[in-house]
Amino acid sequence: MNRIEEIARPAGRLPEIDQESLLPLPPPYDGVDALPPRKHLTDNARANCDCSLDGFLAVGMPRPQTEAEEQQLVERFIAGLDRLLSPDDNWAFLQQLTLSLDHCAGCQTCVESCPIYTASGHNEVYRPTFRSEIFRRIVKKYARRGGKFLAKLKGEDIELNAATILRLLESAYRCTLCRRCAQICPMGVDNALLTREIRKLFSMELGIAPKELHEKGSVVQLRTGSSTGLKAPVMKDNIEFLDEEIREQTGLNIHTPWDKQGADFLLIHNAGEISAWPENPMAFAIILEAAGISWTMSSDLGGYDSVNYGLWYDDAQFARVALRQMQAAKKLGVKKIVLGECGHAHKASMVTSDRLLPKDLDIPRESSMTFLRDIVMSGRLKLDPARNAFPVTLHDPCNLVRMMGIVKPQRDILKAICPQFREMTPHGVENYCCGGGSGFAIMSSFNFEDWRFLVAGRTKLKQILEAFADCPEPETKKYVCAPCSNCKGQFRDLFRYYGVWEKSGILYGGLAELIVNAMTDFEMPYIK
Amino acid sequence: MPLLTLTLIAALAVFLLGNLCRFVKVMRMPAHLRWDLYPIPKGPRDRQRYGGSYFEETEWWTKPVGAGLGGEVVFMLKEVFFLRGVFKNFRGLWIWSLLLHWGLYLYIASTAVTVAVSVIGAHLVSERVLFSNASFAVCVAAYALGVIGSIGLLSLRSFSSRLKGFTSRATIFNLCLLAAIFGTGLVALFNPRHDLLTALADAVNLRHAAGVYSAATYCHFALVIFFLVYFPFTHMTHMFMKYFTWHGVRWDDMPARFNEGGRKDIANNLQRHVSWQAPHIHGAPEQTWNNVASSSGQDGNTGHE
Repeated sequence: MNRIEEIARPAGRLPEIDQESLLPLPPPYDGVDALPPRKHLTDNARANCDCSLDGFLAVGMPRPQTEAEEQQLVERFIAGLDRLLSPDDNWAFLQQLTLSLDHCAGCQTCVESCPIYTASGHNEVYRPTFRSEIFRRIVKKYARRGGKFLAKLKGEDIELNAATILRLLESAYRCTLCRRCAQICPMGVDNALLTREIRKLFSMELGIAPKELHEKGSVVQLRTGSSTGLKAPVMKDNIEFLDEEIREQTGLNIHTPWDKQGADFLLIHNAGEISAWPENPMAFAIILEAAGISWTMSSDLGGYDSVNYGLWYDDAQFARVALRQMQAAKKLGVKKIVLGECGHAHKASMVTSDRLLPKDLDIPRESSMTFLRDIVMSGRLKLDPARNAFPVTLHDPCNLVRMMGIVKPQRDILKAICPQFREMTPHGVENYCCGGGSGFAIMSSFNFEDWRFLVAGRTKLKQILEAFADCPEPETKKYVCAPCSNCKGQFRDLFRYYGVWEKSGILYGGLAELIVNAMTDFEMPYIK
Repeated sequence: MPLLTLTLIAALAVFLLGNLCRFVKVMRMPAHLRWDLYPIPKGPRDRQRYGGSYFEETEWWTKPVGAGLGGEVVFMLKEVFFLRGVFKNFRGLWIWSLLLHWGLYLYIASTAVTVAVSVIGAHLVSERVLFSNASFAVCVAAYALGVIGSIGLLSLRSFSSRLKGFTSRATIFNLCLLAAIFGTGLVALFNPRHDLLTALADAVNLRHAAGVYSAATYCHFALVIFFLVYFPFTHMTHMFMKYFTWHGVRWDDMPARFNEGGRKDIANNLQRHVSWQAPHIHGAPEQTWNNVASSSGQDGNTGHE
């Protein structure tokens, strides 16, 4: 596809992903034959949804069946555009949105910074300015005075029909909101913000969002207390089970404190850790116990799951979850909240909701990176770096690093306890996204996973392999430290898809696990 | 008052008023939520080097957060005068863009000097300074750089695969306009020598001299007048809107606890009415953001497979 206007072409399909043109991976990942077979869309999905953007579906919004339905869809979309530009409905992001709509010079300086566009072999539908420019033209034509005349005059005419709307929706879920392109833009334009605003329009006006984020995500979290669907009593049972695990593994008699009034801090994990990577919350409990720190977890609604998916697609859901988390902390009278290893939860809680909270709910929030760095550097734990005598590299979660500037604490820890630590290139605030950002790591509807592995995670995989280029053999066990649940979810699936453990001996995990692995209190290594 | 003077003043007034309106419009938008993007040039210099923030400090809320404009100004000067971001990320575009930008900067500077000397020249310095070889050379450099830069960018946008499909008609028009302004200026400078500067000096000093300048000079002024009126309606306002995109958004990392005024603005915003129509929001005229945030929104049902 070479022309933006083709987005409105009613029939046919825009170019599909050609595996041969993707960013090459080093051996033994350079062949396509060894990969699992591609998932095919069901006949039902093909018949009902528009998969013509790139042959993949993330949301799968049903296509309107009649002209009247199409007309209604267009009208509702235009109403959503008006609300996006309204100071009442979108005060939270109106300024950022307007600036990014009005000041792109079209210089394309940003495009090579996008790991998805480059990994795809420069497929135009993934160019970071592609969806922004379509959206910009639609806004100017349909939501601004004299728009239709000016659109024709300037040669920027895009027809708003069902094809345009459905493809724009899918396109909004082909960007991980990593904001590398925004970082590069000389004008300060933010394509990721525009992507999020498109998602927001669909969710807040049309009620359309990926079910993993909304229906099974934030809606479940607001109802039960956690996006996992686990209610507080079940969560407490699970943690009790983990306490027993710790006893069996280490001999430590830990009872995770729940709802302890006046504790020094409230620790909130991404609840997904407890079921998917229990070794991480266990490691936290071991570290806090060994350091003799007063802490607690909360069983209050909103107090035991740090995730806030609204950050990626919906302001209302975002505000609701943020408020409940702070209310839980306030009830306990803790001095501060420490956020576990979850990047988007960090950003949602410490940055995006910062100005949203009333003064009485503005409980200080601190990153576990800083907190763990202080514990490690204080000498309160007996650590032996020789216990981590394997190659380790660090993945920088975008939300934690590029969007919060928490860069050094995790490096201080790794340099102190991992003698074979090496950086990826690039790293820090210039890192590449894992490919699972903005909720992709939990999205697996239709054939979206194939896209996530083939395209979105490709640059990161290449970068990880290059970081271990001096020891590629599977016999040398290696560790990617990923202090973020979402990134770990992506690595779990990505590594499984490409057989990274079998072919390269690369394991992924959190930061706390490496600290516990270095503790001399235990005979057996913690990381197995 | 000579017609040329009158038209130039009117165009300048539209230019200033138009840009002021755009600036004020953005400035008066509601206080927004944070949308930080690092590196942010604030705080200790060693931290700035790797893009760190005050969040790296233990109990950061008990310590002063990085403030001051020094780092921001230095960053912006590099961006404005050397196009640092484009240099790092799109070298092929950078050289042409740099030439065009320096053409504009020198054009503005040489015009300002010409106007200043024309106004005070009679009393303080000889008008000959205005037409000295040095001033003339600066004007020539400005126009030449502008012509080369804009034509270079036009060619790049026409032939580069990275730019071609994403170059709008408006962008081509803007570049042609700039090329024409610089081109006619260059011709007017030499035909006859000093004609353009004489015309500007006459306009400033309210001297009636209709019909005595070259066609290139009249053409140049006509294009400049059009440009001044047209500019506020284009994306070229990025020139000063960077104040918002950089300083006001990505570098605005001031926490609410240190900005009580900002917190009050947001509290007022939470009283605004919500009319979004998705089922989980239940937009209604009387519904405020406070109500929405406090509700659970449990009736939503979206997502399809």
